[in-house]
Amino acid sequence: MTDTTLEHGHDAHTAHDHLTPAQRADNWKTAVWLYLGSEVVIFSVLIAMFILFRLEFPERIHEVHEAAGVFLVAINTFLLLASSWAMVMGLHESRKGNPQGLIRWISLTALLGAVFVGLQYVEYQTLAQEGITLYSDSFGMRFYAPTAFHGAHVIIGVLWALLVVNHARRGGYRQSSLGVEIFGLYWHFVDVVWIVLFTVIYLI
Amino acid sequence: MAAHEHRQAHEGEHAHPDTTVMFGRTFPFPIYTVIFGVLAIVTLIEVILSELPDGWLGTALLIVLSVFKAALVVWYYMHLREDNRLYSLILIVPVLLVAVSTLYLASVPLGGY
Repeated sequence: MTDTTLEHGHDAHTAHDHLTPAQRADNWKTAVWLYLGSEVVIFSVLIAMFILFRLEFPERIHEVHEAAGVFLVAINTFLLLASSWAMVMGLHESRKGNPQGLIRWISLTALLGAVFVGLQYVEYQTLAQEGITLYSDSFGMRFYAPTAFHGAHVIIGVLWALLVVNHARRGGYRQSSLGVEIFGLYWHFVDVVWIVLFTVIYLI
Repeated sequence: MAAHEHRQAHEGEHAHPDTTVMFGRTFPFPIYTVIFGVLAIVTLIEVILSELPDGWLGTALLIVLSVFKAALVVWYYMHLREDNRLYSLILIVPVLLVAVSTLYLASVPLGGY
C-alpha cells in the first residue's frame, strides 16, 4: 500500500528524484515516527489522567480489580504480544523475499488483533454487568477513554494488516518491504501502548 | 545482482539471520522469537506479582518490568537499535514531558493550595 503511494509520489514530484531509495525510506520512517510521537502525547495524557485518579481513589481501583479480575486481560496481552511477534516475522520473511511467508504471518497478525478486539468487547460487557460503564462514576471515563482509544487503534491496525496482505497477494513488496515496515512501526507502537496500559490500569 | 541483493543494496534493509546464538549455542529461530519468549515469560511474572499483596516493592517491580517489555519491543521489533537515534528522542521527549507534568499535578492538592 505504502509502496504504491511512494511510486505515485515519486512520479508526481520529480524534484525529489535525486533522493535515493534509502533516503526516501528514511523520510517515510521519520514521518511515521513523528506521527507516533503525537500519539505518545495523547496516550500519555490519558494514562496520566488515570494515574492521578488512582492516586486519589486507590480503593475504587481495588474494587474494580476485584470485580473484573485479570485473567481475560492477561490472555489479551499474550495475544497482542503474539501479534507483534507475527508482525515482525512477516517483515522478516518479506526481507528474505518470501511473499508467502509475509502473507501467512501478517494474516496471523490480523487474526490475533481481531480476537483481541473481540475479547475487549467481552471484557466491557463483563464490566457493564458489574455496573462499571462510561457514565457510572468518575472512574468510567478514566478507564474507557484510554482502553477504547487503544482498541480503536487495534481495529485500524487489523484493517491495515488486511490491506498489506491484499497488496502482498497482488505481488506488492517485491521491490521493497518499506510498506510492511511502516505498518509494523504502527502495530508495534499499539503493542507498546498496551504493555503500559496493562500495567497501569490492570496490575498496579 | 539478484533481486533480493539489489533491494538490500538500495534500501539498506537488513535481513536478520534465521538462527540465534545464545549462551554459546545456536538455536534454529530468529532473535524475534527469543524476544517473544522473554515478553511472554515477563508477562506471566507480572500477572503473578499482581496477585500478591499490595506494596510499594511489587508496584515498583511491575513498573520496571513494564518498561523493560516496552523497551524490548521498541529496540528489537521497531528496530530502534539499528535505526536513526532521532526516533528515540521523538518517543522519549513527550513521555518525559507528560511524566513531569503528572508529577507536578500529583503534588498539588485537589482543591489547590
